[in-house]
Amino acid sequence: MNISSIEPSRELSDYCAIVGAGTSRLGKVPGVSSLDLLIEAIRNALGDAGLSASDVDGVIVRGPDESYSHHQMVAERLGINASFSTTLTNGGASQILSVALAIMAIRFGLAKTIVCGFGRDTWSRTHVNEAARVRNETRPASSRPREFGPEYGYFGATAAHALGATRHMHLYGTTRDDFAEIAVAFREHALRNPDAQMKKPLSREDYHAGRLIVSPFGMFDCSLRSDAAGAVIVTRTDRAKDLRQPPVLIKGFGTHNNTRGWFADDNMVNTAARQSGEAAYRMAGLGPRDVDTAQIYDCFTYMVLAQLEDYGFCKKGEGGAFVRSGALRLGGALPCNTSGGQLSESHAEGMLQIVEGVRQMRHTYPVERQVKDASIALISGHGGNQVCHSTLILGRA
Amino acid sequence: MMSDATNKTSDKIVEKPVPRPAPESVPYWQAAREHRLALPRCEACEAFWFPPSASCPHCLSPNFKFENVSGRGKIYSFVTFHRVYHPAFEAEVPYVVALVELEEGPRLLTNILGVTADQVACDTAVEVVFDDVSDECAVPKFKVAGA
Repeated sequence: MNISSIEPSRELSDYCAIVGAGTSRLGKVPGVSSLDLLIEAIRNALGDAGLSASDVDGVIVRGPDESYSHHQMVAERLGINASFSTTLTNGGASQILSVALAIMAIRFGLAKTIVCGFGRDTWSRTHVNEAARVRNETRPASSRPREFGPEYGYFGATAAHALGATRHMHLYGTTRDDFAEIAVAFREHALRNPDAQMKKPLSREDYHAGRLIVSPFGMFDCSLRSDAAGAVIVTRTDRAKDLRQPPVLIKGFGTHNNTRGWFADDNMVNTAARQSGEAAYRMAGLGPRDVDTAQIYDCFTYMVLAQLEDYGFCKKGEGGAFVRSGALRLGGALPCNTSGGQLSESHAEGMLQIVEGVRQMRHTYPVERQVKDASIALISGHGGNQVCHSTLILGRA
Repeated sequence: MMSDATNKTSDKIVEKPVPRPAPESVPYWQAAREHRLALPRCEACEAFWFPPSASCPHCLSPNFKFENVSGRGKIYSFVTFHRVYHPAFEAEVPYVVALVELEEGPRLLTNILGVTADQVACDTAVEVVFDDVSDECAVPKFKVAGA
């Protein structure tokens, strides 16, 4: 039940680097399939690295959940055969896990240069008509519950995470005002990001005036519906030196899965971020005090608060006080989701958080977006029926 | 479970989802129809579990039987639906959905009847009641204990 028996390999720390990162157009991109959005992001990532598709021999990519052998369709569009090609199915934890798998594949000689990416067309899907907008459902019908949920009017991921929020509020006195600070901070970051989906300022008063969805969550606690894709290129660090961009080192990764279920034990309050983070910290030889910026999987405000605790940035139960201190703001103690995150930039299941971590490590942003002197970024991925988790630690070379 | 419960919204009749049992949960719903809350219990390690499955998740024994439980528990957590995700629930918002932890251990999703969110809390004691949604189907729901 815990990770005391695992020993993440220190040998993998710094073994690989991210040498290219790219995104597609973000937000509302009608008329473009999720596959073509992903190709757009991959093209941008390759261009960023100064590589062409024929330099890639590994593909670990993901798209909408009903896609069969998604990676094959992507590689076909890239016009390449791949030594290593697959799609993971850990939901929002898949994207960091893709990078982790790429490193392992490269380390053991199965491929040399791997593209990792994710693309979706969720805004377009949930806006084809009014019924789709109301249902707000992204899972294919075949994978939705048929009992023990719908007969009670229980639908969707919002309610699952809201159950966790209620329990945390009960145990620790966390309030909606704490969640408000997370939404407001990330929106403020999005306003500095010209690519962000959300363009209007959000005040604490706006947050509280927002309509309730599944309380304790209101509309501003919930991440965006987006057409969006992102991609990164992973290769061995010693090969990266010849490429266009300064390599961003992959210092550590970890994963943990509370696969007994979100409703089991205290998993909705003590998330798998704890053990996933411990594994990544151990591989990197780092701890929470070394982290300069965090890009946290923000499907809902509460998940940010819970993960900040589980990653050791504050103690369990003190997440509310930690965020109220202003820590998450650019200029704060732990600038978090500096592109606006999934709450305000765009939601690509954690892929855009990886891209943002890379860009922060390169110090290429204008001063108002750059975390000053940042040399270590922690990135989280969360999903797979709420209980799969992955962690990536990046470092400035 | 053959006919759906209905709710009238404007001019059209909208059917509420009825349980569509997996093969393993048919005995659960048969018991519910008789107003009994019965869960799978392992004959080897005596643990209860939920949702039903064909072997014990504690010891993997395939030998189990459905056994009546107390119907008493407490609210582990709860939420209030304000948004209408399904048109059949339009007349019911805001309604409370809770995760109830039974005295026997397993937790199950349910509705808490006759309350608003400010009348319940985590750890509130609750007990099962059965909602006969049709001649063929009763759905276990909960109310505040003693209410």
